[in-house]
Amino acid sequence: MKRYLVKRVLLALGILFSISLITFFILHIMPGDAVALMLGDTADPNTLETVRHNLGMDKPFPQQYLEWIMGVFTGDLGTSYFQRKPVADLLLSAFSYTAKLAVVSYIIALAVGLVVGVVSALNRGAILDRGLMTLTVVGISAPSFWIAILLQIFIGLRFKAIPISGLEAPIDYLLPCISLGLRYAASIARITRTSMLEVMGQDFIRTARAKGLSPLRTVLVHMLRNALIPIITVIGADIGTLFAGSMLTESVFNINGVGKLLVDNITKRDIPVVQGCVICVAIICVVVYLIVDLLYAVVDPNIRLGGEEA
Amino acid sequence: MKKKRNLFRPFAAALALALLLAGCGNGDADGSAAPGASTEPSQSAGADGRKVFRFGQAPYGDTLDMQISTGSASAAIADEITESLLRFDDDNNEEVVLLTDFPTVSEDGTVYSFELKQGVKFTNGTELTARDVKFTFERMFTPATGAKSFSYFNMIVGAKDMLDGKATELAGIEIQDDYHFTITLEYAFAPFVKNLGTSYADIFPEDACTQAGDSWGIDANLVGTGPYKFQSNDPNTEAVLVKNEDYHGGEVKLDEIHVIYYSDTTTKLLAYENGDIDACDLPAAQLSQYKDAYSDQITAYYPLGTCFLSLNLDIAPMNDVRVRQAISLAVNREELVEYVLDGAGIPATTYLNPSIPGHDDSLPVYEYNVERARQLLAEAGYPDGVTIEGGMVRQAEQTLATAIQGYLAEVGINFVFDTVDNATWSSERATGKLPFTFITWNALYADADFQVYNYFYGANSGRQSVNYSNPEFDRLMDDARSDTDESHRAELYKQADKFLSDTDMVCVSLYYPQFQFLAKPYVKNMKVGNLIYHLWNIDIDLDAQAAFNG
Repeated sequence: MKRYLVKRVLLALGILFSISLITFFILHIMPGDAVALMLGDTADPNTLETVRHNLGMDKPFPQQYLEWIMGVFTGDLGTSYFQRKPVADLLLSAFSYTAKLAVVSYIIALAVGLVVGVVSALNRGAILDRGLMTLTVVGISAPSFWIAILLQIFIGLRFKAIPISGLEAPIDYLLPCISLGLRYAASIARITRTSMLEVMGQDFIRTARAKGLSPLRTVLVHMLRNALIPIITVIGADIGTLFAGSMLTESVFNINGVGKLLVDNITKRDIPVVQGCVICVAIICVVVYLIVDLLYAVVDPNIRLGGEEA
Repeated sequence: MKKKRNLFRPFAAALALALLLAGCGNGDADGSAAPGASTEPSQSAGADGRKVFRFGQAPYGDTLDMQISTGSASAAIADEITESLLRFDDDNNEEVVLLTDFPTVSEDGTVYSFELKQGVKFTNGTELTARDVKFTFERMFTPATGAKSFSYFNMIVGAKDMLDGKATELAGIEIQDDYHFTITLEYAFAPFVKNLGTSYADIFPEDACTQAGDSWGIDANLVGTGPYKFQSNDPNTEAVLVKNEDYHGGEVKLDEIHVIYYSDTTTKLLAYENGDIDACDLPAAQLSQYKDAYSDQITAYYPLGTCFLSLNLDIAPMNDVRVRQAISLAVNREELVEYVLDGAGIPATTYLNPSIPGHDDSLPVYEYNVERARQLLAEAGYPDGVTIEGGMVRQAEQTLATAIQGYLAEVGINFVFDTVDNATWSSERATGKLPFTFITWNALYADADFQVYNYFYGANSGRQSVNYSNPEFDRLMDDARSDTDESHRAELYKQADKFLSDTDMVCVSLYYPQFQFLAKPYVKNMKVGNLIYHLWNIDIDLDAQAAFNG
């Protein structure tokens, strides 16, 4: 187990290093220049050069990368060209929004998804089941920013108490979380249904029923609990995606999360910020997958980690 | 019977689960709300007789230090807080702000004498003196500041030495006493006083600005002599400006201005519909959507700019004036404005914008004549048509470019372009090798030097990918720059514009853009003269507001 852990952590570090190098390289060969954008069309070449020099953009590529990576180890991700703030501060602020949004959305998605999945499974083949499963197809297919705009128009504009943008007060979470969570709710519902159906046919359920357990207890304790394992697998992947931020949904609801920060700064060629966002998202994904892999061992002892200790 | 029971049970389970999980969800949302954040920060407008104006705009994205920022979204906020010596009103006339009168200028046009108003205070309590003016410009020319505005003022004697790090004091500004100073220029530069009226010449208080260091202009870190001061500013969500009780220009009309940042235009407009904001910009793309239902709340305005097809005169076939004239003749500008722009523009008659002195008012809209265009192409050696390729356009101009492509196909010109993002476009243009593009060139104020010199003057036109070189045109530009007689200058620009727009047909001018904003009926005095929203004149009619909100 320990050996496996060390191996996985080293591998993760290697992945992060490669990602940072590739991003840095791509950003430097990408056409477009932050300084030209910053100064507008009237800037003369001398001004451009002066500003570029002040920002350290005239240094050779390997030197820029080395300075950046040294900075990362000391917790300094550089300074934004445009906003003149430390990238770490911008990221921290953006990430706090993305994380809050992700957690609340996913909790809603889980609640809705599990309920719909269980209800569908228990009513297999009935109209209710078919209706719900059709809805889940819509939920999976509809882009979340489109749902977002529909919600703004049909709910936000109709009910004054429900704000159409921002993320400060609890009520602000309603629309963004629905639009972001819907897709996940739909996929959780489908997996829950399938997994429930599988469990329902098994002997121990019949035994539980025969024992005279209440139907509610049978569903919650015996069926759902055993159906959870495949659901947990999906959750890992979903969390990684959610924490990387959702550019479109964040833009529509004016939430300054990681996705929006990233895209805004790609268009401005604010390289330190883009670099910071990418590395931050990469770290989150790598860590989440690492945790999921380790959790497998905890949840299912049949999955062994590292042969020697078995 | 059996079926009913089956249906009920899952619902009970569902309810139990939903209650449990919804409970978690709520708890999380409550816990994560920002401390002290009010649920409805902007909805108290007018409730207690206070005048609160809520303006929606895109996040300014950088700093409010106008020596460093070049954005009009930054200027809209900064201009309420910091002031320059002079400014432009919303009819584009320059007026004095911190001065007793317009400066006097020496015979040779190089020495300007200024007198400051007495008793003007920055909102931190210190009094404005000539020392602050000198400090402001010295800061601008100090390389460590990273200012971008210096190119508007580097004709001041000593500026270049400071920029090169050879001096730490600005020789060209001499202080006589607290309220009198002179500025000496290296050469006569007629638009100098107009440059002083832009946001780039905002005067900063020496003590507060020095103390703030690098954080000057970041968040709410900005102090000036303006009608409003910051209460708070989170560049991601909202700025709250409050009335400056000691404003030197008299009573300030509003108690508070809230600038609420929306990065998504659709959301901003929905917020307007929803009554979350009192006014915002209405982009041309959404005009048709709003123009019927909100016709009484839309105001059009005309910035000092011209949209044109910019051509690279170094590259064939655009190097032949007959081809350029043929392109112009192929475009039906009236139709273009009516159908492609939804009427949001004025068909061009010449390059120079109609509100800029020197514009020839007698000119008709450019002729549309397909036959003549074909004939000119044949004369130029392209009787079977020609391909013009390699141009780049931005997303915003894509529709326009496609329409022009259609017009040019009619006369046998195969017009091929790529759509690229802003950053790629900027750096490609700066190489001087971009064959053609579409651009709207705006002047900061109503002066042809800005609209013409910066783009087409021989030494400047290379980096705009135009490469125009006509000594006669350049001489007119030079003469007009150093002439202090405004009516004579206008005459010179009229002659220069004739070269640009007719004789040499350097660019194909298409239309003068119309922009528009939405404002609720209770918003008074909202007007825009050029590109920057000035909020200092705006007032709120509380009775009308109460009536409007029912």
